[in-house]
Amino acid sequence: METITYNNFEAKVHLALFTSVENGKEIRERIIKASTAEGAEGDAAREAVNFAFVDAKLIASPRHLLTATYQSLLAESQESLKTKTVHSEIIWSLNPTSNITEALRRFGVNDNSSTLLVVRVVKSSENLDVEKNMKEVVQGNLVPLSELENVTDWSLISKYYKLNSEVAVTGLKNPNDTKRHKIIEELVTSFVAMKSVSS
Amino acid sequence: MTPTVALLESSTLIRQGAEAKVYKSYLYDGQISGSDARGEPILLKYRFNKQYRHPTLNSTLTRQRIAQETRSLMKCLRSGVHVPGLRMVDAQEGVIGIEWIEGESVRVLLGAEDEETEGTGDTSDLPDLEQLEHDPLAKFNTTSSHVMRLIGTEIAKMHAADVIHGDLTTSNMMLRQRSDEGTEVLIDFGLSYVSALAEDKAVDLYVLERAFASTHPDSEPLFQTVLDAYSKINSKEWKAVGRKLDEVRLRGRKRSMVG
Repeated sequence: METITYNNFEAKVHLALFTSVENGKEIRERIIKASTAEGAEGDAAREAVNFAFVDAKLIASPRHLLTATYQSLLAESQESLKTKTVHSEIIWSLNPTSNITEALRRFGVNDNSSTLLVVRVVKSSENLDVEKNMKEVVQGNLVPLSELENVTDWSLISKYYKLNSEVAVTGLKNPNDTKRHKIIEELVTSFVAMKSVSS
Repeated sequence: MTPTVALLESSTLIRQGAEAKVYKSYLYDGQISGSDARGEPILLKYRFNKQYRHPTLNSTLTRQRIAQETRSLMKCLRSGVHVPGLRMVDAQEGVIGIEWIEGESVRVLLGAEDEETEGTGDTSDLPDLEQLEHDPLAKFNTTSSHVMRLIGTEIAKMHAADVIHGDLTTSNMMLRQRSDEGTEVLIDFGLSYVSALAEDKAVDLYVLERAFASTHPDSEPLFQTVLDAYSKINSKEWKAVGRKLDEVRLRGRKRSMVG
């Protein structure tokens, strides 16, 4: 697990990449169930899955994900969240359209997610064993974030962000070209950064 | 204090203009495996509150201009024009964060004085002018005519995407410092807009031509090299844009609205 600090939000962000994830379906069901559970038990259930579970194959780089995280923290601080929590907002911010269901279906955890990027925003005053909590939810191998480059599905990213006909990449037809990957990474990062003013 | 104000306070002021302040900043502390500590530096452009404007008008205008600037940048990125990538946008506070370009403005490279060396803020980051004066281009291992071709190419790609820069000067172009070859990067899309009209594209080029004439008297003939490169890349539109450019040269930037 890796941690960075946003001093201006007085928040820490913990990120962990899990490969060979086996319980995507179970995680999704747990989140849905926790969202409507009541009382103290409900709070505990929600706390146990209080993360953004992002399908890692749609993430081009740590920067791509962190840009979504920054914009979500900003929306939270300005009380302009489009979704209910800062964690669901991260998933929404990644999606090129404003459709929440589509965002969760594409970028969130689903039945066949085999790799997950798990994000947890913690206000600096809170003291939690985040890594332990992550491991309790996700059945998979925790690996360094630098492994992300072996996970990214560039053609699926291009499809969802509708980049295949953009002039910036039309000159680079080979889907495995690292130059093409770099351009796509820049495009999706920039898009996520400006989503709030995109239309 | 809002998060964006806190971010600005932790940043280094580089430039101040009438419209905005420019800072160098970092979005976070800490290290992600496989990338640099503190991440990459970014440039923050802060369209500060104008006390002379009504607050409501001020926030509407700021919001509009931020949206316009970021949309133009995004359109350029999608079209393969070399412009800074976007890193954060806070339309409410009037701040955009863009990619930090390590390099030098074409204005300085062509031997003119830096626009605001006497400006406010910290200028210690700026390279020593005297040291550069001998031949600033040597550091980039390039020639002025090569730089002109790069400029023509980028403007042509931008115009092919129907983005009009609105303020093309040699100060708003940078040569990126790279080990291999230099890349020319267009910056400051604060006055940009989208238009497909040959007239608007011609005026964009005319503004640059005038800027060349006034800032770089010796390199004025080089502007032809810019146009040559432009006509090659944007060959489809060059006939119309070139003809309009001749018209604009005769009458000036503003169209006559008489009759």
